[in-house]
Amino acid sequence: MKWNSRTRCTLVCLGFILLFSGFSFRLVYLQMLKHDEYAGLAAEKHVYKQPIYAERGAIFDANNEVLAHNVPCQTVVADATHLNNLDAIVDLVGVELKIPKSELAEKLRGDRRYIVLKRAVPEALADSLREKLQVQNLHGVYFEHDSARIYPNGSMLCHVIGFTDFEHHGIQGVEASMDQYLHGEDGYRYIEHNRAGQEIVLYRGQERASRNGYQVHLTVDLNLQNIVENEIDAAMREYSPKKATIILMRPQTGEILAMANRPHFDLNLRADAKPEQMKNRAIIDMMEPGSTFKIVSAAAALNEHKVQPDSTIFCENGLWNFGGTALHDHKPFADLSVKDILVKSSNIGAAKLALGVGEQKFYEYIRRFGFGERTGIELPGEIPGLIRPPQAWSKISITRIPMGHEIGVTPLQMTLAMAAIANGGKLMTPRIVKSVTDADGKTVSTLSPTMLRQVISPQTARQIGDALRGVVSDRGTAAAAAVPGFIIAGKTGTAQKVDPKGGYDKDKYVVSFSGYLPADRPEFVGLVVLDDAQTSKPELNYGGLVAGPIFSRIAEKAARYLDLEPHEEIRKALPVARVALTNASRR
Amino acid sequence: MNRSRRKNWNTVNAASLARWIVLTAFLALTGLSYVYLTLQLYHLGDRKKALENELASLRTQNDVANVQIAALTSRSALQRRLKEGYLKMMPIAEHNIVRLTIPVRSTEDTIQPVANQRAGR
Repeated sequence: MKWNSRTRCTLVCLGFILLFSGFSFRLVYLQMLKHDEYAGLAAEKHVYKQPIYAERGAIFDANNEVLAHNVPCQTVVADATHLNNLDAIVDLVGVELKIPKSELAEKLRGDRRYIVLKRAVPEALADSLREKLQVQNLHGVYFEHDSARIYPNGSMLCHVIGFTDFEHHGIQGVEASMDQYLHGEDGYRYIEHNRAGQEIVLYRGQERASRNGYQVHLTVDLNLQNIVENEIDAAMREYSPKKATIILMRPQTGEILAMANRPHFDLNLRADAKPEQMKNRAIIDMMEPGSTFKIVSAAAALNEHKVQPDSTIFCENGLWNFGGTALHDHKPFADLSVKDILVKSSNIGAAKLALGVGEQKFYEYIRRFGFGERTGIELPGEIPGLIRPPQAWSKISITRIPMGHEIGVTPLQMTLAMAAIANGGKLMTPRIVKSVTDADGKTVSTLSPTMLRQVISPQTARQIGDALRGVVSDRGTAAAAAVPGFIIAGKTGTAQKVDPKGGYDKDKYVVSFSGYLPADRPEFVGLVVLDDAQTSKPELNYGGLVAGPIFSRIAEKAARYLDLEPHEEIRKALPVARVALTNASRR
Repeated sequence: MNRSRRKNWNTVNAASLARWIVLTAFLALTGLSYVYLTLQLYHLGDRKKALENELASLRTQNDVANVQIAALTSRSALQRRLKEGYLKMMPIAEHNIVRLTIPVRSTEDTIQPVANQRAGR
């Protein structure tokens, strides 16, 4: 080959072509084949997925009063590898956040890199601490956005509202049952930051906005709740019961208007609460209802046309031996009409009514009234109660169950059964949530009233209602439950408490009163239950004497608040001597 | 001499020179504009971030104020103030209530949002 200038030039050109082809292939390899891998590595260095936090939805009562909402705060954390002056940091942070210095030093000297120093630090305090750290040139302490759940009414309605854990997940009450609506969805934004860690806004990447949690509106009216809370507190002071529950409900819709339990706790100080205080006894406590359950046996007998309201039943003059066991009435009664069996609360009469219906049919009515199954209220942890099938009954069960023994029901189930009577025999699903809205007030979901079933005919319901009016009269067992100006229908209950050693405890009672007002067109149904109330004399510990007056006071105030017009001539409530306090309860 | 010197001179194409000058100036201006606008974008980004922070801060202050208002006007707080004597309530006497209309009663099966429409708020 002749090395002339042309050849040399060609070779140089070929060299360049090969060199730049190599570069080109390398570029294609890096930019196309390995693009994702290297882009990912580069992104790790300077691209950061910044979360955009969603705010948990608020909870309101029926009148839009705030029951639960959020306050922005900060979580103070430390990165152990960035701490530059441990002693100074311990001194400053310990004083500012009120953490014992020894505890703080132990935390910071531990093996963990990411250390949470304190949660729910108010914004103002966090700002002040941030400034002081900057002034003293202390590094390694950081602030993370957070929010704290605040309950402005403290202990009021605590069992219904419930509370959240520190990750803002509901763990009790409506906070738990409506968590999917309240929680919201966090958003995110891809950002790039410079060497100083500051965001370069120009290079903002993909972004998804957060969706704040929906707002939940309850059916509870805080004004009625306040009435109930005041009365239950007064009852606790007066009778010192171990437990107490009061429920107010609208029978036509199943809306819960008020629900209070004792013992209770402050939602803002829930860390100090004992498990016993946190139980919503209206739905998770099982009790033997006592005589309030007689409405079921009377309703079954009337609905099956086994008897008429005026049919007479011989009540054995107060003592009846059945199945080898004696059944007593609190007073000797001879012949009583079906109506008077409820008015006088005859155990023997109720037992004979159930016997007339038959075991299987009576059991069916118990189940139709909703006993033995969860009511479906939007509250977690509800129990179904305990109703044994007839196959498991003893020989005397058919005489004991009609008077509210040998069964376990929740206070809410008992309220619903009374509401079914008040509502023409229609059993409604109880509701505590009225609607769900977004932050702008636009309705996302409305929960409409749901009728579960027609338990008894409207005529039977009316007949039972007529009898229950007699209970709250001078002839009945609950004269003290009367409200001036209104006709009330209701039923008392006094059940001996089950002794853990077997049988019943003679001196301990669960007293209750369940009723509705006005009797002809009920606006609300109420239930008052006191467990082991302390009275000066055991014979005063009756539903009509203890729970009845409490219902009366609540009903009177509620009627005023709801602006119900008195339907009959104003009359004074029958004078009933108030139960004197015991020495124990005075303490 | 003069003649040979005149021969070595290159003639300047004024039109072409002007074209290049304009082109270069245009490119320079474009470059400068690009740099200026890019800096402006950075600056606007910083301003945007500052405004976002300010907005977040205002929102936080608003939320804190709302919480304080809710706490001060809550039923528990008002009752406490009532007990302490800061507030006083007078019951409305029956003769002071003027009833303009008799409350409308619904039929038994009608579902009402509140028990009494007049009491509903």
